[in-house]
Formats: sequence, structure tokens, C-alpha cells
Amino acid sequence: MHNIAGVHEVNEPLGLLQLIFGASFEVQIVIFVLLALSLISWCIIVQRYLVLSAAEKAVARFEERFWSGIDLGLLYKEGSELQEEGVAMAGMENIFRVGFKEFMRLRQQGKADREAVMEGAQRAMRVAFSREEEKLERHLPFLATVGSVSPYIGLLGTVIGIMNAFLGLATQAQATLQVVAPGIAEALVVTAIGLIAAIPAVVAFNRYSSKVDSVTGSYMTFADEFSSILHRQIHSGS
Amino acid sequence: MQRVLQRLFGHNGYPLSALIALLLHGMALATILYWSGESASAELELVQPTLVKALLIDENPQLQERQRLERQREAEQLRQQQLADQRRREQERQREQEQQREQERQRQEDERRRLDAEQLRQQQLEQQRQQELLEEAERQRLDEQQRRDAEIERQRRLREQQQAELRRQQEEAAAVAARTEFELVQSGVALIQQFIEDAWSRPPSARNGMRAVLRINMLPTGEVTAVTVVESSGDGAFDRSAEIAVHRAQPFSELAEMPTHVFNGNFRTLSLIFQPEDLLN
Repeated sequence: MHNIAGVHEVNEPLGLLQLIFGASFEVQIVIFVLLALSLISWCIIVQRYLVLSAAEKAVARFEERFWSGIDLGLLYKEGSELQEEGVAMAGMENIFRVGFKEFMRLRQQGKADREAVMEGAQRAMRVAFSREEEKLERHLPFLATVGSVSPYIGLLGTVIGIMNAFLGLATQAQATLQVVAPGIAEALVVTAIGLIAAIPAVVAFNRYSSKVDSVTGSYMTFADEFSSILHRQIHSGS
Repeated sequence: MQRVLQRLFGHNGYPLSALIALLLHGMALATILYWSGESASAELELVQPTLVKALLIDENPQLQERQRLERQREAEQLRQQQLADQRRREQERQREQEQQREQERQRQEDERRRLDAEQLRQQQLEQQRQQELLEEAERQRLDEQQRRDAEIERQRRLREQQQAELRRQQEEAAAVAARTEFELVQSGVALIQQFIEDAWSRPPSARNGMRAVLRINMLPTGEVTAVTVVESSGDGAFDRSAEIAVHRAQPFSELAEMPTHVFNGNFRTLSLIFQPEDLLN
């Protein structure tokens, strides 16, 4: 005997994993993309944390050294020795070194007048400052992108999933909840994954942006203070 | 510090951060795995919440009882203090006049106090015993309920297992019997169903839950020789509409291409169930 219009369904409880692995191909692609985005953004979150906290510590340490009353030439020479040992100069110390080097070089040439020397030193420091700022801000736009885009990607997965669910429904003579429910649940899981990827990225972006602002602010202040010291030196030295 | 960090992790900390990110995602996945395993094993456990509720409700009277006892004890103490104060005042007033009687009374007082204390102690003991009895009864009741629930659960599982076993056996038997012909038969039946469904116009008297079983006899060319109503739906118009649908849909010329033994085995006489399932009224 054969039923003409009956629908047979077998009920089984659905776990989250069955939902993900049983999803349609398009939805699985979306899940994979979201997973990759989340992985990369977490990678950046940790890496930026290391870099930014190291930069903050370096600022505190160098400022302490600088204002301890040490001779500037000596400080420069110490840095040079460290550089020869293979330690990369970064942050505030780099600004200091570039500015001081330019200042000394211009002064030794002797030809330029005082204002030109000052201007040269300040220009060199501005360049170093913008390089340092660039270093600190690297990858942060990616976090912002993940934060704003991955909910949309999740939504796209959900829309595809629900479309599939309804297409599957079209072949059924009878629309029961058992037919639609797994498809919709599968679709909603994708939105959840998108949000899970987005939230840490947004939080980290906001936090790191303010951190970068504070560090670059202290660089700027330091550059100004240092150029005022140089100014004093060049006007008293003659 | 920075030097140590850089030497340890190298390349601006990229490898370390990649490792940490991977670990984090692995942990999240493991949590989900664990969680889903947990929820799958705990399906349909409706027993647990009621148990918790019962505990909560029955905790309250005990608490109130305890609080009441505490209050009583405090009141008792206060009363005794007041009594003692009064007594002291009295003693002071009477001490010059009647030393001996005073002693006498004091002895009596002592006696009474001892009795009071004794009474209080007994009262407390009694209350404690009652409380213990109450708790014991409660525990027994809970145990009983748990046992009953577990029994019901076990029976349900057994029944489900048996059903699943039966279903599996049936499926296996069917698969073994008709593995070779299965697809042919399936496609033929689907074709016939499709044709008949297309040709079938349900009468206005059709209702959900109606069911008519028709037996049709066919020639190997797919022509229908006879249609008989094996099981009537109780509605003549409905049965007739099904018959007409079969006649209108024939001949099923696709069956002519079928191997003879398959046709003879499955299609010479074919039973079809007609159900107006997709009607909405």
C-alpha cells in the first residue's frame, strides 16, 4: 500500500553541532568565513594588546629616564649602544633619537642659523612621530571592519538558511513545524556566530583606539617639550 | 622586559597571538560540544524542576518555625530579665527586715527558675523532635517521588527502544527483500501517484481524515483493467472521485518498460490509499 498524500517524519533531538554540520553548503561557507574572521580578529586583538602595553610601558620608562636629569648626549649614546646590540628603537625614544641626531648634525655644519636648526629638528621629529603613530594604529581598521561587517555576514547566512527552509517546505504537501524548524534554527545559529565574532572586535577596537590616542598624545607632548629644551640650548649655547 | 618579550615571542608577537586565538576558539568549540552532549542526554527531563520546586516550598515552614522559636526564646529571656530585676528590687526593700524569709524565698525562686529552665529545655527538645519527624517524612516523600519518576522514565525508554528495534527490523526486512527492485518499484509508484494526484479532483464532501483504499488491476502495458473499492471512506462521492481519477490517469505507459517479473510482483494488483490530507477544512 502506498500513501498518496501522507508525510512521514522522524523526530530526533537536534544538537548545536548537528545543526552546524547538517547545514546546507552555502550556510557552511558563511560559517567558515565567520570563523576565519573571528580567528584573525582574535589574533590581532592579542597582538595589539602586546604591542600597545609594551608601548605604554616604554613611554613610562623613557620619560623617567629623560627627566632624571641625565645628559642628553649620554642618553643618546646609551641608546646607540643598545641599538648596536640589536635592540630595535621604538616609540618615544625613537622620536628623541631622530630629533637629537638631526639637531646635532645641523649644528655641526655650522652654516645654518638657529631657526633653521630648530626647524630641521622639529621636522625630523614630526616624521618620526607619524611613523610611530602608524605602527601603533596598524591592523586596527581590520578590527573595525570585522565588528561592523560580520553581523551582516551572519544575517546573510540566516537569510540563505531560511530561504532553503522555505524551498524545502514547497515540496511538502503538508506544512508542519517539524519541516520548517530545523532550517530556521540552523539559520539563526549563523546570526549568533556573526554576533560572537563582532562583539570582541568592536570592544577591542574602541579600547585600543583610546589607548593609541593616549600614547600618541604623550609622544606629541614629549616632542614639544624636547624641542623647547633644544630651543633653550641653542639660544644659550652661542 | 620588552627585550625578553620580543625574544620569547618574536616577530612582534604574531605567533603567540595566533596560538592564543586558536586556543580560544578551540576552547569555545569544546564548550559547545560538551554543552550539546549534555543537552542531548538530558532531553525531556521534566522531573527535575518539580523536585526543586517542592524543596523550595517545603523549606519555608521550617524556616518560619525556626524563626518563631528564636523569637520565643528572646521573649523568654526578656521576661526573665525583668523578673530578676523586680526580684532584686524586692530583695533590697526587704533585706533589712527579713533576712531569713528572704533566704527562704530565694531558695524557692531558685527552684522555680530551675523548673522553668527544665520546662524550656523540654519544650525545645519536643520542637526539635517534631522538626526531625517533619524532615524525615519530607525526605521519604521526595525519595518516593524520585523512585516513581525514575521508574516511569525507565519504562518510557524501554518502550522507545522496543519501538525503534521493531522499526529497524521492519526496515531491514523490507530492504533485504526488495533491494534490487526497490528503485524501480519506487519510481513506478511515484509516477502513478503523481498521475493520479493530478487527475484527482476531490469532491466538496471530502473531509480531512477520510480514507479510501482502492485496488487496481493492470496489464503489463500499463492499462487499468479493473478498479475496486476495497475500503470505503463512507462517502460515496469521495470513493467515486478516486475511481474516476484512476480511470482518467491511465494508461501508465511508463510501466511497459518495466521488467516482467518486477511488474508481476508489484504492479499487477496495486493498492492505493486516498486521503485528502491537504484540505484545510
